[in-house]
Amino acid sequence: MNASAASVFGQNEFVLRRWHSLTGLLPIGAFLCFHLATNASILDGPELFQRRVGQIHSLGATTLVPLEWAFIFLPILFHGVIGLIIVSRGQRNVHLYPYATNWRYTLQRWSGVVAFLFIIWHVLHMHGWVHLPWWTEHVAAPLGGARFDPENVLTAATAIQASPLVFAVYLVGVLACVYHFTHGLWTMGITWGVWTSPRSQRTANILILGFGCIVALMGLGALIGMQVQDTKAGSAQSAPAAPLEEGR
Amino acid sequence: MNAGARAEGGARSFIVRVLRQDRPGSEAYWESHSVVHEPDMNVISVLQRIAEQARTVEGKRVAPVVWECNCLEEVCGACTMIINGRVRQACTALVDRLLEERPGAIELRPMTKFPVLRDLLVDRTRIFAALHKVKAWVPVDSYHHMGPGPRRSQDEQQMAYHYSKCMSCGCCLEACPQFLKIELTRGRDESAEAFRARCFAAYDRSFMGAHAIAQVELFNQNPIGKMSARERLDALTSEGGIQNCGNAQNCVKVCPKDIPLTRAIALAGRHATLHALRNWFDR
Repeated sequence: MNASAASVFGQNEFVLRRWHSLTGLLPIGAFLCFHLATNASILDGPELFQRRVGQIHSLGATTLVPLEWAFIFLPILFHGVIGLIIVSRGQRNVHLYPYATNWRYTLQRWSGVVAFLFIIWHVLHMHGWVHLPWWTEHVAAPLGGARFDPENVLTAATAIQASPLVFAVYLVGVLACVYHFTHGLWTMGITWGVWTSPRSQRTANILILGFGCIVALMGLGALIGMQVQDTKAGSAQSAPAAPLEEGR
Repeated sequence: MNAGARAEGGARSFIVRVLRQDRPGSEAYWESHSVVHEPDMNVISVLQRIAEQARTVEGKRVAPVVWECNCLEEVCGACTMIINGRVRQACTALVDRLLEERPGAIELRPMTKFPVLRDLLVDRTRIFAALHKVKAWVPVDSYHHMGPGPRRSQDEQQMAYHYSKCMSCGCCLEACPQFLKIELTRGRDESAEAFRARCFAAYDRSFMGAHAIAQVELFNQNPIGKMSARERLDALTSEGGIQNCGNAQNCVKVCPKDIPLTRAIALAGRHATLHALRNWFDR
């Protein structure tokens, strides 16, 4: 970072760090929970998952595109860039002070970097970053991206089943996101002065650990659900033909 | 001296490895000294023996190892150094305990987050610069008799007592992963005043550390200190302020005075946010 950018960051350090903290929960953390819960619904069968995806996409591009940029992409980019600056300004010392909270601090930095890189790749892989025909055709698709077709949810399962490496990347990426979000929730409670005493911080930590396990299970459910789908049977146009009408 | 006499009846000796440095910015090097064991030694008395001998294990004559100490009862913070890998005060580091942990040898290093002046002596100015920045004092700038101060509850007094135990030793800063070393060198044509001003400016822009945050809580609770609470909160939310805390919570674990630093940080975080919102909406 050059000197003038550093001084702009420095002058607004408090406000930027508070926004960084807030965006981690709203909207990013809330979206993460919603996203994993939606994807875990594939465990109830591809038809139901297709219906939920259909409901989201029934909003239409004019609503969906501003929503995803304002409440998902831009907050994640902001949180990620500020986060990288934070990581670059710390000096991890868990080898000298191997306390549990110091391990969690260190893991928070690692999981943040892993999650940010994973999300950038994941959005390319499934979504393609930008939905413009020439971009999708000439840039995203040749790079192995834009694999998800909201009209045929089994395309997501196909993309994940493409190789064990893809599955492994998703496993690490999702767990990094879940850890970063839930531990971030705990530090957020300290940053904003919600839990202040060591005792309340311990209690909050236990409750958040339970919550984190539930979110992690949703993530694992979604991934395993994708991995076990029979994509050959559903890859024909039959599944998405009438998603909204198909009841179960 | 009488070291030999005292050591009669099983003169055990142990090795002390010291990380030495001759002057600011010069190369650091390890040196070993052999010290005869005496009952109830602490690291200060070990350093006194080393100064007396001024001779390494190889028999080479060397300048005495330089260190700083003052109160000898863990209330001044001057003798803080890294002993067997742990940041602590030399005066309360007892040799028998250290040798139990790691038999045969003791390792001494200067703190790593402050500029080394010589050997184990570091420049801790930054600790006091942070206290200056947050106005860690009660302003009673008057020679009038002002009458008795307001009464304070037992609970408040108890909390204030915990925070007031801080001796500015630097342990919390040494262990903090967010507190990084700043070492500037004086330019050839730079006056001492200009160099000092440049150091203070650099210190002000970097993380103030847990000790200063706890002092903000101490003085903002004081009935008279409260009157300049907003100035302290301005300092707390400026560049290098509380927002740099990463919640690794090493500070509270290494604090020799058991100061509730993480509680202070959480409360100060709450107060800082409210202060920033108030500034934003009321200006």
